[in-house]
Amino acid sequence: MIKIDNLTISFIGKTAVDNVSLEINPGEILGLVGESGSGKSVTALTLMGLMSDEAYMESGEVTFGDEVILKAGNTPDDNLLRSYRGSRISMVFQEPMTSLNPTMKVGTQVAEQLLLHAKDEYPTAQDRKNCVVKAFESVGLHDCENLYDKYPHQLSGGMRQRVMIAMAVILHPELIICDEPTTALDVTVQNQIVALLKEINAREKNSMVFITHDLNLARRICTRIMVMKDGRIEEQGETEEIFTNPRTAYAKKLIAAVPGRRSAKAASKQKASASDEALSVKSDKSNTNRNESKILTVRDLDVFYKERSKKLFGKSIHKKVVSGASFDIYEGETLGLVGESGCGKSSLCKAILGINKDITGTVENKTIRPQMVFQDPYSSLNPARTIGWQLEEPLFALDLLEKELKTTKSWRKEQAIEMLKRVGLDESYYDRMPSQLSGGQRQRVSIAQALITRPKLIFADEPVSALDVTIQDQVLDLLKSLQDEYKIAYLFISHDINVIYRVSDRIMVMKDGEILETGDKHSVFECPNHPYTKELLNES
Amino acid sequence: MNKTDGKKVNIYLLIGAIMGGIILVLSIVSLFWTPYSPTAMSAALRFKPPSFAHIFGTDNFGRDIFSRVMKAIGTSFTVSFFVVLISSIAGILIGSVTGYFGGVVDAVVMRVVDAINGFPSILLALVIISVMGKGRANVILALGIAFTPSFVRIVRGEFIRLRDADYIVRARLMGARKTRILFLHILPNIFSTFWVSVMIGFNNAILAESGLSYLGIGVQAPDATLGSMLSDAQGYLNSAPWYALAPGLTIVWMVLSAAMLSEGLSKSKKNK
Repeated sequence: MIKIDNLTISFIGKTAVDNVSLEINPGEILGLVGESGSGKSVTALTLMGLMSDEAYMESGEVTFGDEVILKAGNTPDDNLLRSYRGSRISMVFQEPMTSLNPTMKVGTQVAEQLLLHAKDEYPTAQDRKNCVVKAFESVGLHDCENLYDKYPHQLSGGMRQRVMIAMAVILHPELIICDEPTTALDVTVQNQIVALLKEINAREKNSMVFITHDLNLARRICTRIMVMKDGRIEEQGETEEIFTNPRTAYAKKLIAAVPGRRSAKAASKQKASASDEALSVKSDKSNTNRNESKILTVRDLDVFYKERSKKLFGKSIHKKVVSGASFDIYEGETLGLVGESGCGKSSLCKAILGINKDITGTVENKTIRPQMVFQDPYSSLNPARTIGWQLEEPLFALDLLEKELKTTKSWRKEQAIEMLKRVGLDESYYDRMPSQLSGGQRQRVSIAQALITRPKLIFADEPVSALDVTIQDQVLDLLKSLQDEYKIAYLFISHDINVIYRVSDRIMVMKDGEILETGDKHSVFECPNHPYTKELLNES
Repeated sequence: MNKTDGKKVNIYLLIGAIMGGIILVLSIVSLFWTPYSPTAMSAALRFKPPSFAHIFGTDNFGRDIFSRVMKAIGTSFTVSFFVVLISSIAGILIGSVTGYFGGVVDAVVMRVVDAINGFPSILLALVIISVMGKGRANVILALGIAFTPSFVRIVRGEFIRLRDADYIVRARLMGARKTRILFLHILPNIFSTFWVSVMIGFNNAILAESGLSYLGIGVQAPDATLGSMLSDAQGYLNSAPWYALAPGLTIVWMVLSAAMLSEGLSKSKKNK
């Protein structure tokens, strides 16, 4: 039904899409899977003629049914494309906050679609409002009459995404393009949105293109999958075919790298037989030395956050974001903290680290200056400073704080370069600027920075969530080997239960500021106590 | 649409650089040489229209307007430069501290800054000059004070924005001293925004200086300034229009070139 033939797009000389041809048949959900930079988004945007100004279409043709809507060499027919967008092809974007107009009520924004394309069917404002309210209901939103008049910032992430989907569906288009629609959402919400999309596909009998870097997710919703790498199609076929019989090496790599519980269990079973003795010895050790090796004790911790009252002269509201947190961390172990965003895990970290002083309860930290690795590799490095300078800064601070320790510039440089090598980056990175590094490389630098002062405790806040699957793998391996070498304890935060399973020794489950369950990895996974934990485990 | 290769010629930067370059050259040259002495009067040469001998003509005292304009550009440039220097440094010192620390310090300081900002800059300059006396140094001081609030605002805004960035949180975790964080960690990151406001400030300083000298309270005669030349030329608009056009167009030229440069710079930063 919709075809792309021999599409090649380049950006300032670099080829982003290389001779890609694909076909979308009515009723199917096509998955475009690939790592960042693979060309999947550009390909999909081309379907709507929405390429950026810097993209140059070197060859190719996009056909919708019998009509050619885009052809290389011809200037795009804006009127034709506009008539398609919204009514025959629509799109759901990744970041609902930036794709909804923050200054317009959500109801009005969706109604605008009707105004632009279906004025005859819905001549009055009331007609349009009714249609919008019905659309909201069909995407699972509640209290839709009131919702119509709300602004985007008053809605949660999941609700905003549903509004986006309502906007995409309201004119019953034949093709909906979803560009990473769930990447910015929590696991439980992700699943709901995915289920909703499947339901819409069945109900409307339209076609969908689902772009994602998450293979697991693609497997759940797509009928056919295309794997892209460096602008080319590596492999395509029916979903289950690809997972059970991947043909190309790259596809195999992607599937193997998914930190799925099934593969983790299989891998650990293999290792278990070989190192069963080693494991039992280790657990014996930890039992006897338990209390001596406690490095962090937290009891009855409440963390507060001052929020300014919305009223003109109202008092500021003292909000409790963490209540009654009590746990210990032992030397050299990884304590996994799993929970949805907003549950208070980052606030917990900040309180323990002393960044947020508005707390009650006790925190006993036997380590000096614990460090943190942040989630977003793009904001965790100072963009105006070289990598080398940033690595040396912690050492410089050490110099000033500990009078006995005198450091020289050459010693610091030596340490920095050694750390770079330890995280798998070579010397040349010393003089580079963060803007020259990729996400995975930046995260490695972050880890190096956190480690350079040899702390005994590191808080890792979603350190791999923003990375591609194959890079995630490498970074997790790196963290483990550094832990073994330097005996560092990690508080590893993630919303991805598979990652938590892979890295943790013990696990804590958190929701709405409370720690619901703590325990040994295996006992929590096999016999969860709390109903919320059970829910989380089922979702994956 | 010449965007096939994704590269665009930055027309603003080009024009701005050329225009600004001419100004810069003229003002530097004026330190050593002008076609005629800017103060030499001659009864015989009064009100000569523009010619090869006198590019901009002569004024009511027979002085060569072009030479006066060259000197005036130099004066404008120097005064504006120092005004921007003073106010931007003050802006950084005050804005960084209040922006980063917030709280009571921020509240108090910003009220003082708001108070200064409430005065139109010319009025403020008038007050300061009438208290301290006329002269180049006092003009610079007066305008420097008048311009500080806007720099404080901009720097403070940037520091507030960057204060909670991940890499700054990490700097605090490392135990870095606060002054170090302010100036070595955060400051390098505000340069692009800051630079644009410096250029705009420079522009405004040129206009303010011209305004002050037009009113007679800026740099004094016989030093040539664009504003005072305009003021003198007022009476002769019909008989010797070139007298007013020369300084007037020069002011427009200077302001336009600074505007072009700042537009061009911000466009090129965006593309990076």
